[in-house]
Amino acid sequence: MFQYDFMQHAFIAGTLIAMMCGVIGVFIIARSLSFIAHTLSHIGFAGAAFSAYAGIDPLLGLLLFTIAGAVGVGQLGVRMYRRDASISVILSLALGLGILFLSLGNIQGNYSRTLLFGSVVGIDMQDIWQIVLITVLVLVVLAVGYRWLKFDSFDQVGAQSAGLPIRLISIGFLLLMAAATSVTVQIVGALLVFALMTVPAAAARFYTQSIFGMILISTLIAVLSVWFGLIAGYYTNAPISFFIVFFNAISYFFGMFFHRVRERRRVLAP
Amino acid sequence: MLRQLQIHQLQVRFNGEQILNDLSFKVAPGELFAIIGPNGAGKSTLLKSILGLIHPQQGDVSILGDHRKVIVGYVPQSRVIDDETPISASDFVSLGQISGFLPWLSRKEKKALNEIMQFTDTKRLANKPIGTLSGGERQRVFLAQALVRKPDLLLLDESTANLDPEAQIQMMELVKNAAKEWGVTALFICHDLQMVGTYADHVLLLSRQGYKTGHPEDILHDRKLMTTVFHGSSSENGTMHHVPTESELPLAGFPQ
Ligand SMILES: Nc1ncnc2c1ncn2[C@@H]1O[C@H](COP(=O)(O)OP(=O)(O)O)[C@@H](O)[C@H]1O
Ligand SMILES: [Mg+2]
Repeated sequence: MFQYDFMQHAFIAGTLIAMMCGVIGVFIIARSLSFIAHTLSHIGFAGAAFSAYAGIDPLLGLLLFTIAGAVGVGQLGVRMYRRDASISVILSLALGLGILFLSLGNIQGNYSRTLLFGSVVGIDMQDIWQIVLITVLVLVVLAVGYRWLKFDSFDQVGAQSAGLPIRLISIGFLLLMAAATSVTVQIVGALLVFALMTVPAAAARFYTQSIFGMILISTLIAVLSVWFGLIAGYYTNAPISFFIVFFNAISYFFGMFFHRVRERRRVLAP
Repeated sequence: MLRQLQIHQLQVRFNGEQILNDLSFKVAPGELFAIIGPNGAGKSTLLKSILGLIHPQQGDVSILGDHRKVIVGYVPQSRVIDDETPISASDFVSLGQISGFLPWLSRKEKKALNEIMQFTDTKRLANKPIGTLSGGERQRVFLAQALVRKPDLLLLDESTANLDPEAQIQMMELVKNAAKEWGVTALFICHDLQMVGTYADHVLLLSRQGYKTGHPEDILHDRKLMTTVFHGSSSENGTMHHVPTESELPLAGFPQ
């Protein structure tokens, strides 16, 4: 399997992206931004479609659109945007725009499918370097801002009380999500970014009560899911995305079961 | 160490409504300073003004320290803990350790965390999810999170509300010991006048009509003053609440 260049590329790209999604996902879940992640990936879809139409580098269009989306969402307010109906409107508008650009640009059905469902066959070295650059950038910013972000994500009242600039943290995090979404969309597709960014982190909460532990477990689940997807996809010719989502879903439900059992034991214990 | 906290002619209005009016008082270093008064008097507003979360229309708050910048620890009145985020008590306390930039804790920080959790009697809760703790345990965890930053000034907004008497005493003893051991100056809002009588060095009685500061015995034993301010809370055969006029309530500044 590794004799093929495209499989090597897929493994490198997939592993990096999974690590990034696993880490950032913990904060997405803690900040209840799952739906925003979902929306940003659709905005990314519109951006990628726009790139194809305008003939520019896909990553450029993706970044342009998602960053604009993140800033827009940030303007809607630090708190209210989580449940706001305007998010649904933005999501559908983005999807509509994406479809419009695809049709305007006379884009082949193949490429549309790739944008929505992802593809690992077309990854070249240039893509890898882009992915490395953005992944490292996102992870470094997360590491440097870790304490502030952690405080604000898990205890916003406390963070504000301690004098942290919560508005800045909020916008900064949305921008990181935009960057992370932009590279992830290219590999797993707009529809499944959501799965890789939120399910491993949601599952991790069942296994540990430590924040650092959540980050480790979430990353582990995300990376294993991508490996499983690539290997199973290679041998069966079924879509990789299916296997990724399947693995994540299993981790989630197993975690839920594990959590229930442990809870019951704790309640029963004297 | 805090050298002095001085509030000078503070005025806060919300939407044209005067909440704090020409409020002036001083807090001495290392003392336990209680703030009492009916609901809506502006007690929380006062703490937020001291923190800088609210910008007063007039007057100022001056906080003087020895040499370094004064660190203020604040335990706010309402804190909704999402039970869906079952992070451990020790992680929750450690959230307050924001001075470093490394993602992991240094040995010194680990030691500080351990010391604070020992001090607040939260050590045995360390691995429990914060969502599963009782009210008193949560308040001690909140206090620990504020203390782990080694504050010079501690602001507690009704941290003993909804606690049983024993937990209230435990909480106040912790604050008292923090003052004694580390020289922390503490302002606490409290509705339990017995607690105030036992623990406070000075009291600020705050109402919309005016305010008064003094020793607990002088304020709490002033029957006329106390009934005027808390009139609404004493149920007198269902008559309309009497709203005292300015002249009925002796306005006073800081008694020197
Ligand atoms: N951010 C705000 N905007 C408008 N009004 C406020 C705000 N915060 C407090 N208030 C009003 O100020 C008054 C005093 O509130 P508060 O300081 O919380 O009282 P206390 O803590 O003494 O019960 C209340 O009438 C409250 O409705
Ligand atoms: Mg209050």
